[in-house]
Amino acid sequence: MLHSAALDPPQRAAAPVRAEALTLDGIAVTVAEPGGGRMSILDIPALRIAPGQSLGIAGPSGAGKTTLLHVIAGLVLPQSGTVRWGGETVTSLAEEARDRWRRRHAGFVFQDFALVPEMSVLDNILLPATLTRWRVPAALRRDAVALAGRMGLARIDARTGALSRGEQQRVAVARALLPKPALLLADEPTASLDAENGKAVTRMLVDGARENGATFVVVSHDAALLGQLNRVIRLEAGRIASDDAV
Amino acid sequence: MNPWTVIVADLRHLRWVAWAVPLLVAVAVAIGVAVSAQERALRTSSARAADDFDILIGAPGSQTQLVLSTVYLQPEAVPLVSGAVLKALGEDARVAAAAPIGFGDSVRGYPVIGTTADFASRWGRIAPSEGRLFQAEQEAVIGADVKLALGEDITPAHGLAHSRSPLGVETAEERGHQHGGNFYRIVGRLPALGSPWDRAILVPIESIWHIHGFGNGHAAETAAIGMPFDAKHVPGVPAIAVRPKSIAAAYALRGQYRQGGTMAVFPAEVLVSAYRTMGDIRDALVVLSGLNSALVFIALILLLVAMAGMRRRRYAVLRALGAPRRYVLLAVWLQSVLLLAGGALAGLPLAFLTARVAAALIEASTGLHLPVTIGAPDLLFVLVLITLGSLLSLVPALVGYRTPVGTALRG
Repeated sequence: MLHSAALDPPQRAAAPVRAEALTLDGIAVTVAEPGGGRMSILDIPALRIAPGQSLGIAGPSGAGKTTLLHVIAGLVLPQSGTVRWGGETVTSLAEEARDRWRRRHAGFVFQDFALVPEMSVLDNILLPATLTRWRVPAALRRDAVALAGRMGLARIDARTGALSRGEQQRVAVARALLPKPALLLADEPTASLDAENGKAVTRMLVDGARENGATFVVVSHDAALLGQLNRVIRLEAGRIASDDAV
Repeated sequence: MNPWTVIVADLRHLRWVAWAVPLLVAVAVAIGVAVSAQERALRTSSARAADDFDILIGAPGSQTQLVLSTVYLQPEAVPLVSGAVLKALGEDARVAAAAPIGFGDSVRGYPVIGTTADFASRWGRIAPSEGRLFQAEQEAVIGADVKLALGEDITPAHGLAHSRSPLGVETAEERGHQHGGNFYRIVGRLPALGSPWDRAILVPIESIWHIHGFGNGHAAETAAIGMPFDAKHVPGVPAIAVRPKSIAAAYALRGQYRQGGTMAVFPAEVLVSAYRTMGDIRDALVVLSGLNSALVFIALILLLVAMAGMRRRRYAVLRALGAPRRYVLLAVWLQSVLLLAGGALAGLPLAFLTARVAAALIEASTGLHLPVTIGAPDLLFVLVLITLGSLLSLVPALVGYRTPVGTALRG
């Protein structure tokens, strides 16, 4: 059940870019091997993502795509190397500070939606707002309702677990976009959706990033999604095998 | 930081388990609290039942049996003490009052107790709530719980120590043992004492002696009923209740009647030793129920640890959305505390109900009224359990807290 506005939203003007430059230097992630040695799963000497750019990360399974996304989000600390967001070095922040940085700047969309199925649609969208606050401000609540409407989610009191997959992913996109993040991250956001829903979610993410003036980094093997982006890099065995911006 | 929506969602995720967990805790807690509440009530009420029996004098035998038969009217044959003792006590300067207590007969399951009007009014402490005390041999006054009416005539049946009729029922066996031609008219009803005496039918001791062919215990056939008993041979009685004039007199009397073919006991002292045993049993039961609660707590903590493990991805997602570690800690900890503390608190009313049901059963079989209360020690016990549960809840909370986000997100 798709809302027509969701499929074909009015073109909104791109907001001024609020994002900072994302700079990765000398990133190396390794895991311990049973034999005692260490296996490299990510090796990125340098990657610079311009403010407001949309970057796709493609590549076969096990190439390190999700690890790269988690490194950018500050969820995984590399064994060596730095991630900088403008002048801030995310990799040298303490865990608490990284949580705060992520809360302030990043929005996250997962392949399997990662919603709380027992919560209502509205509570899921507002969840990030309750992580640091006791009460959700009325204005933010109104924004959430409006955003849900734009995403074509009519039943904001419905239990999220009862929604269709397409609807659930739109809840997840609304949850990521509500705080107007300057960095929008997504891990295979269309992989468990049918083509039609995939297309709608792609548009919401791309438009959402542009309206917020955000940098958008997405792991995907969905050609339709990758086709909407400014730039696509391809990972193979933890290294950048190709970069269409180069 | 408001983990409330997450906590509610997690509890919903547990579905019926979210109700079963506090219920188990409540049952475990209720057993412990009910045992001690019950024991307290039994102590209070049995002590109160013995209030008017300062000293009991009987024939040598079991002290406990004398107390059980006299104070709690347990139907058991007791050897008789010579009537001369009763006569002597009536003339003793150390004695404020003495009264024979004769039992053995019954009417429709209610024990018939032969005594004096003085003792029927508990040495003047209580007055009949209806009617008056007996003034002649053919009159009876009934306890508060005896389901007979004033003005009714009743015929006592002999003996039947072990085969009393069910309360209020006249069986064929009882009819076979009735003392033909002897009846009492009920002239009064006593207020409730909360003791087995509420089920007794009190009659003049003289009538019991008469029925069994021993005369009336008085020098003259036409003497007024009650003390003193001045016949040449006062018939024997199972027990004599004595109210001494002073504490010194009490010890002197006990010393004197402990020997020479009689036995003298302070029922309060017999109860104290019974309480010691009861207290030991209570302690053992409380320890057992404490272990029981501990096992339930540990089992539930393991369940909650397993749940926290199963939800590691959910908590990792919260972290990815920017939740601080302590948010996850708080959410997991609070839901464990809610389940355990909620159960422990629910244990209190459940304990009260359990103890009340047990008290009603005991009252039905003994006539002893048990005033069950939940007191400060019970609240303290529950408070300790809640504290313990809150500490134990840190275990699942730390499992949630320590989950590495990167790997859990892939899991």
